[in-house]
Amino acid sequence: MSGADILLQSLIDQGIDTIFGYPGGSIMPVYDRLYDYGDRLRHILVRHEQGAIHAAQGYARAKHFPGAVIVTSGPGATNVITGIADAMIDSTPLVVITGQVGANLLGTDAFQETDVIGLTGPITKWNYQIRRPEDVAWAVARAFYIAKSGRPGPVVLDFAKNAQTGMAEYKKEQCSFIRSYDPYPEVKLADIAKAADMINASKRPLIVYGQGIILGNAEKELLSVIEKADIPAGSTLLGLSGIPSDCPNYLGMVGMHGNIAPNVMTQKCDLLIAVGMRFDDRVTGKTDEYAKQAKIIHIDIDAAEINKNVKVDLGIIGDAKTVLPRIEALLEKKDHSEWKKVAAKCREIEEEKVIGPECRPGKGYINMGEVVETVAEVTKDSAIIITDVGENQMIGARYSRYNQTRSMITSGGLGTMGFGLPAAIGAKIGAPERPVCLFVGDGGLQMTIQELGTIMQEHTGVKIVLLNNNWLGNVRLWQELFFNERYSFTRMLNPEYKLIADAYGISYKVVNRREDLRAAVEEMFADDKPYLLNVEVEEKGMVFPMVPPGKSVSEIMLNKKDWLEYGE
Amino acid sequence: MANNLYEITVYSENQVGLLSFIANTFTRRSINIESLRVFPSEIPGVHKFTIKSRTTEEQILQVVKQIEKKVDVHKAFYYVDDERHVREIEAVQALIDSRMEENR
Repeated sequence: MSGADILLQSLIDQGIDTIFGYPGGSIMPVYDRLYDYGDRLRHILVRHEQGAIHAAQGYARAKHFPGAVIVTSGPGATNVITGIADAMIDSTPLVVITGQVGANLLGTDAFQETDVIGLTGPITKWNYQIRRPEDVAWAVARAFYIAKSGRPGPVVLDFAKNAQTGMAEYKKEQCSFIRSYDPYPEVKLADIAKAADMINASKRPLIVYGQGIILGNAEKELLSVIEKADIPAGSTLLGLSGIPSDCPNYLGMVGMHGNIAPNVMTQKCDLLIAVGMRFDDRVTGKTDEYAKQAKIIHIDIDAAEINKNVKVDLGIIGDAKTVLPRIEALLEKKDHSEWKKVAAKCREIEEEKVIGPECRPGKGYINMGEVVETVAEVTKDSAIIITDVGENQMIGARYSRYNQTRSMITSGGLGTMGFGLPAAIGAKIGAPERPVCLFVGDGGLQMTIQELGTIMQEHTGVKIVLLNNNWLGNVRLWQELFFNERYSFTRMLNPEYKLIADAYGISYKVVNRREDLRAAVEEMFADDKPYLLNVEVEEKGMVFPMVPPGKSVSEIMLNKKDWLEYGE
Repeated sequence: MANNLYEITVYSENQVGLLSFIANTFTRRSINIESLRVFPSEIPGVHKFTIKSRTTEEQILQVVKQIEKKVDVHKAFYYVDDERHVREIEAVQALIDSRMEENR
């Protein structure tokens, strides 16, 4: 078989049935063979390689399976860099195959040659240049093992053209062991006992969980701990949907635009149990003041995360699915109703000062929060929510509700504008049975708007909700609050979106009156076809509450004038 | 925290790109590399890096963890001065042996 055939056969052996890609010179031997694999491999032709990689990210996170990308060398490879960096920081399993010039041309500045191994080294979990057809099956097997195991991440295989055309014998390969790599470290029993003791002794425990819960399939295990020891729990942005929003001990999202309760309780708890999260600065605010009064237990599969941003009293390196049940077995049943009154009081304040004005203003322009709440009501919290980056993301995360896991896909660590539309396409292809709803701003939509072509060609039933305020809203918000209202290059003149939707054959409606909103959202979700709903929202909409940069997480702005006054 | 001259040793597979990854781990944190050596270690097939850098213990701990996180790295150590060596070799050999044993 040719190296190209071995690649495709190896992908199939690894369980891949969908590839996001874009052809070009140095990958043509693979595309030539792909032509004959139509019955086994579905190829999604995107409109730009950035679309391919973000779509693969959306696919991987919706389906809980590595996304596969095939692009060409040079510009094809550099166009996927943003998505690889995004997948690295958000722990998304991807296998990215980049074409490369023939091994004899490497280092000669050949046409469309670029140093992909050098470029992607810092942003991949592993990368490898395949220069011989004999290495293809081995490299693909290893790539999938590394991408999926431990803390997941992106892997790049740089596939030299001579290895694509050269012939080798094909032998099915699986990889489940690398002698220098220990993805599931053994958990120390003494640490488990110590954690359980600390939790049993705690009067005011708080759990903050992240995407590790979802990546590790540990949703049930987390819920059992929460229920048995009656511990209130807040989620990071990427942990959202890890436990259902209607769980009585669920406090909402932590961090800069998080809910008030988990942020205030972070500064009042006597024990913080962090699971599958990495203390991002958007979560901790000022780290010197973060949970200073509390003991901290940090459970994470990545040893490098322990004591990286926040010093902890007990670090447990391990898989949440293994660690949590072992701790739970040693936990005493508890009733923390007294402690949870803090949450009730915070909710009351947030409802009155923030949620009410945002979601039920009754007059004026439509607010972003009203739109997100309407979608949650109409879909009965069942949709996979995709967001772009910015205000749409924070409002989308805050006001969506989740009744099943893997329902929130967003660019967390890298904050990649333009992520939303292609990620939504990938999510819908990965989970076709679920409604997929994208919240996107007018800025982010126009960064990858060409992927409407992919939607047209593939008939991907993505519901696009454009929260259109004619501004780069989140930067505008910071300019209003922190840069003396100097709106430097954040005003956008937008195109006529109806013409764009028509051009791509996508159903379209524009809404600018509150009374029309619900009917429009209902119409959008009436079928499974692509739809662009352009909601002209309040131009100077804000996202509150807000922990301003450099403040501790209990220093919370409720609106432009009022700060949270909670008292002792 | 006080700056010290540290010696970091890394035992790894012989993998293309590792040298630049390891160097990047320092430069990304604005840590100067005073010297760097790569050579085959006493264990067949295992390569060894030694890097000298002047920085704080807190920084060097982060660097060591980030390097160890790399798939092709067996283990990394750091020292304030010239203690070590035999102990390291034994530790890496024991680690590989135990993992091979587990996988058998």
